[in-house]
Amino acid sequence: MSDRPGLRVIVVGVVAALAAPALVHAGLVTEYAAFVIGTGVALAAAAMSLNLLMGYAGQISLGQYSLLGVGAFMSGWMTPATRLGLPFLVALPAAALAGAAAAFLVGLPALRLRGLYLAVVTIAMSFALTESIFRAQSIGGGSAGIALPRPQVNNFVFTRNGDYLGILIALLVLVWWFDTNITRTTLGRAFRAIKSDESVAASFGVDVTAFKLGAFALSGAMAGIAGLMSGHLVGTVNSESFQFEKSLLLVVIVVVGGLGSRVGVLTAAAFYALFPVVMPSLFGKGILGYDLVIGAFVLIVTMARNPSGLAGTVREVLEQRTTRAEADAPPDTTAMPPLPVLPRPTALRGVDHNEGVVLECTDIRVHFGGLVAVDDASLAVPRGRTVGLIGPNGAGKTTLFDVLSGRRQPDSGRVHLLGADVSAYGAARRARAGLGRTFQNIGLVRDLSVTENFLLAQHHVSGYDPFSALVYTPPVARGERELRERAAAAIEALGFQRYARTPVGNLSIGQQRIVELGAVLLTAPEVVLLDEPAAGMSPAAAENLAERLIDLRDALGRTVLLIEHNIPLVMATCDELYVMAAGRIIAHGTPNEVVQDDLVLEAYLGGAV
Amino acid sequence: MGQVLVLGLLSGGIYALFAVGVVLVYRGSRVLNFAQGEVGTAGLFLATWLTVDHGLPWIGGAIAAIVMTAAIGVAFERFVVRRMGDAPRVSVAVATVGLLLFVSTLELIVFKLGGKPRSIDGPIAGAGAKIAGVVVSPTQMLSLVVALGIGVGLAVLLRRTDFGLGVLAAAQDTAAARLVGVPVNRVSAFVWGTGAAVTTLGCLLIAPGLGAFAPGAVSRLFLFGLAAAVLGGLTSLPGAFAGGVIVGIVEASAGRIFESVALPGVKTLAVFVLLLVTLLVRPDGLFGSKA
Repeated sequence: MSDRPGLRVIVVGVVAALAAPALVHAGLVTEYAAFVIGTGVALAAAAMSLNLLMGYAGQISLGQYSLLGVGAFMSGWMTPATRLGLPFLVALPAAALAGAAAAFLVGLPALRLRGLYLAVVTIAMSFALTESIFRAQSIGGGSAGIALPRPQVNNFVFTRNGDYLGILIALLVLVWWFDTNITRTTLGRAFRAIKSDESVAASFGVDVTAFKLGAFALSGAMAGIAGLMSGHLVGTVNSESFQFEKSLLLVVIVVVGGLGSRVGVLTAAAFYALFPVVMPSLFGKGILGYDLVIGAFVLIVTMARNPSGLAGTVREVLEQRTTRAEADAPPDTTAMPPLPVLPRPTALRGVDHNEGVVLECTDIRVHFGGLVAVDDASLAVPRGRTVGLIGPNGAGKTTLFDVLSGRRQPDSGRVHLLGADVSAYGAARRARAGLGRTFQNIGLVRDLSVTENFLLAQHHVSGYDPFSALVYTPPVARGERELRERAAAAIEALGFQRYARTPVGNLSIGQQRIVELGAVLLTAPEVVLLDEPAAGMSPAAAENLAERLIDLRDALGRTVLLIEHNIPLVMATCDELYVMAAGRIIAHGTPNEVVQDDLVLEAYLGGAV
Repeated sequence: MGQVLVLGLLSGGIYALFAVGVVLVYRGSRVLNFAQGEVGTAGLFLATWLTVDHGLPWIGGAIAAIVMTAAIGVAFERFVVRRMGDAPRVSVAVATVGLLLFVSTLELIVFKLGGKPRSIDGPIAGAGAKIAGVVVSPTQMLSLVVALGIGVGLAVLLRRTDFGLGVLAAAQDTAAARLVGVPVNRVSAFVWGTGAAVTTLGCLLIAPGLGAFAPGAVSRLFLFGLAAAVLGGLTSLPGAFAGGVIVGIVEASAGRIFESVALPGVKTLAVFVLLLVTLLVRPDGLFGSKA
């Protein structure tokens, strides 16, 4: 089933690419109309490049159109007979590479910062390119610009717009096909996880930095192709062709088209390509510009009403309809189903280790300003045991979890995972090394369905290189099939078949916790860190959770470290307990030893006993 | 050298004024208002229309422009930003991009009716003095004084008054600020309104130096203001000032050292490189803190 979208795109594309020149030759479409349609096709490709960055990966770029210039001038250096005189087909990958390189450079600060800073860098890039680089005589040909020749095959030149339109459509289909491959594989899931919550993405083993830069580069490559498409259509490009306002137009198209919706973006691009041509001939020149006024207004209203864009609103209405039907069934939070038996990490990773201690930290120290949150804490989690970490609120338990899972770097101290020193590893790398964790506020991507979250969770066990997903090679297809089988099996084991396509955010908190636990198990962890799994559960549900946690240890053989305030649950499931208070580990022993410890009683009840 | 410093300081003062407007909104709402420069330009057109076409004195046009743009800022806060609650900040920023495009397109439509570039005089006429070989007009001197005055005034307001502390508190934790009695909505309206007003003032002061202007005339200069704010760490008013002066001096020196026929527009290129390199080395800007 996963192969069909790709095939459909290609078939439709080939038909359209052949039909367009045929229609023009038959006289049904004029040369001028073919030109106008061509600008729409190029604009659609440009909008898709920004859609990838903003709609999927959640990174804002306000200089995207200037990247089209990078592609166009690259081709302007290679294809004209007065310059290198290389064929169009050689310039195509070069334009893509140039666009990718420029986007990568601008995305570099994303290594260390996020969001709005980057937007400022992208505006600066737009102005630097259009006011300086593109105006250089050697690159942009000065004010006259550069003439880009139409492609040529043997003696046939695609001079007629109708003929060239066939090439444009073929290239748009190519971009569309790449885009489809991104959204249906681990590549797109990683992007959307980053957009939703970087910590959650990292907990599933997604290398946030690499994928963010990857999104910039892929988006830049698409923009480069779009620039080449439009440059050879118009015939002459200069610095004026890639002004800042055009980048803003792309933002409008992507948001009004629905942030992440391919069809919506294509429709919006068609509207903005046709409006300035069609409307003035009907209503006079006075109407020029009103498309942008309306677009900008719709953009503002869309953002104010629903930040996920127009398509998001439509999607939400549809979802409400489906989930209202589902909500009739009582939310099933009291009986937690048996956990799915999932492959062992050793089987997936081909590593075998038998260290007695799976996870260990020594002398961890973290301070926030003047407050010492974790004060020389050390603990060890032995293989196959369930270890509890308890203590009053604000004791530093979750901070210690963040240090163990790599979400936070401690001031000092070391962490060992499966015998290896992982102190220098980030969260994603520790997740890949076999550490799974849950979050107090649920570590799932809320907009994605249960199935998609389960696929995302298998990010690092997908068995294929994420960037080869772009061309959907047979290993990718095979890997995706396996991931889907595993996800389906887990959904069945948890009894969530009915919710398989429901966005996780629409489930009850109890259900979300079950899904989260399932997702963490799908990351094939050796040790699982659970942060207050019983929070908000009824006593009956917590009792049921206790059974599942015992299964986790006995039936599935996983090692568990558990933060929990529910003492009966802790007593029933844990083999060992650590007690934290005011950042320090104040007691360690079996549950029975610990509850009789004077220090522990003092920490919990406050004051001498 | 002296010439570069004087030139850098003069344009840097305006960038600092833009940056102060950016920082103000960022401190109150944790978002960048990308539309500020264009809203200021709309104010500039209003002032030009009132003073040049209808003979109002400069100060009358300036007040009208500032009132109108402050109203746009407040209205945008009231009807868009406040409704978005705690939506992702990137979404709010995208909404300001919508405002930017909305205002600039309206300007273009109205502008096309008139047809040709406009110009407006400064508040003070006069020949100006020569400093280090650069002719400094009275308006340019005034801009420096105004920029400094507004910066210091706002800094004092933020640090020393309950209202100012409320601005800082609202940015840290809106819910908590509301609980302790900070008028969160009024604070938010204040930063958006004042941010727009300060930017408009910057536009009015730089306009005589631009000569003739058309819609979008200030967008590159406002970019330099944004860059100054980012260099200064986005939260610090002194940082915004230092950022403005640094951008001004880098711009002036690049123009002096590298400008050539082979590579035009070096000033913009230099500011881009400055921004990129600074953010790579110091992600929180030169004067920013992690908090």
